Amino acid sequence: MNIWIAIAGLAVINFVIKATGPALLGDRALPPHVSLIVHSMAPALLAGLLIVQILGQDWRDFDWTLLPGLAVIGVLWLLGRSQIACIVAGVIVCIVIRALV
Amino acid sequence: MSGPRSAPRYGWRPGLRVGVGLSLAVFPVAVSFGALATTLGWPPVATIVCSAVVFSAGGQLALLTAMAAGSGVPLALGAATLINLRFLPMGVAVAGSLTGPAWQRALAAQTILDGSWAAAYQGNGRYDQLTMFGASAVQWPAWVLGTVLGVVAAPPPALVESLGLDLVFPGFFLVLLLDSFRTIPRAAWIASLAVLLTGGLLLVAPTGVAVLLSSLAAFIVLIGRNRSGPGHPGRPGAGAGAGAGAGEPA
Repeated sequence: MNIWIAIAGLAVINFVIKATGPALLGDRALPPHVSLIVHSMAPALLAGLLIVQILGQDWRDFDWTLLPGLAVIGVLWLLGRSQIACIVAGVIVCIVIRALV
Repeated sequence: MSGPRSAPRYGWRPGLRVGVGLSLAVFPVAVSFGALATTLGWPPVATIVCSAVVFSAGGQLALLTAMAAGSGVPLALGAATLINLRFLPMGVAVAGSLTGPAWQRALAAQTILDGSWAAAYQGNGRYDQLTMFGASAVQWPAWVLGTVLGVVAAPPPALVESLGLDLVFPGFFLVLLLDSFRTIPRAAWIASLAVLLTGGLLLVAPTGVAVLLSSLAAFIVLIGRNRSGPGHPGRPGAGAGAGAGAGEPA
């Protein structure tokens, strides 16, 4: 039941977030400081989610074999490769590392 | 050399073409979402409905991550909402380019996806709504079908690990994070602080709380920025797509 409530809630919230600007503001822009705060949330939350995925609650899910794959993703991103190419390469490195250890 | 036969850059057809490319990127992420949600015990129908009605990789993954870790609905929704908040400035940015009454613009804004939004930008603050519609129209079925495939073929956890599929989500978050470095001032500082904050909180607090409180990193860095001088003022619309790459559906 909770899953359905969460899905419905997120669908509604997502709709409202997207609709707010076009429906209410029209051509007006967000105040600069509000805009900056909203933008700055993204790297904070993404970093938080990344760490949660890597470590898990009480760091119980930590698996070092993910790290070489993530490193490859970072390097390929720096080289300007596409998002999907980065992830595929990271997965391949992860598979190889796990096959070797 | 551009001649009269140059293909138009904006409109339905160019949007559809862009959408096909973006769909190739979002499809595997959708498959992974479907597979992981099933592995974590989400009912198949709920997983597919989630993709159909939410249509937001970052938001859905945040919801799944938080709920799988035992967080309640409010915390999970809070984390997912914060991830999707970036659509607020994106919506503001396209508002002037959408036509019709308010309710119609609100509906049209539902086609705002990261890649579509970026592809529709014409310069000078204008967006082509047909391009955005076209690009999003292709990505939605790709996202839903990918989820269906992930649900149907959901591999057992051991196979997920041996195939390296458990790297897909952290890898996805990593590239989105790195993308945000390009457009958001002090994003690297914010992310570094968030990593420390979340890592520490995971030892003492539930996962959902840790994710939510990671957003404090943004406030701390912004407060520090204001104390040391304003630097570059925030630009409305600048970097509005940050935190999400072209491969994310919404």
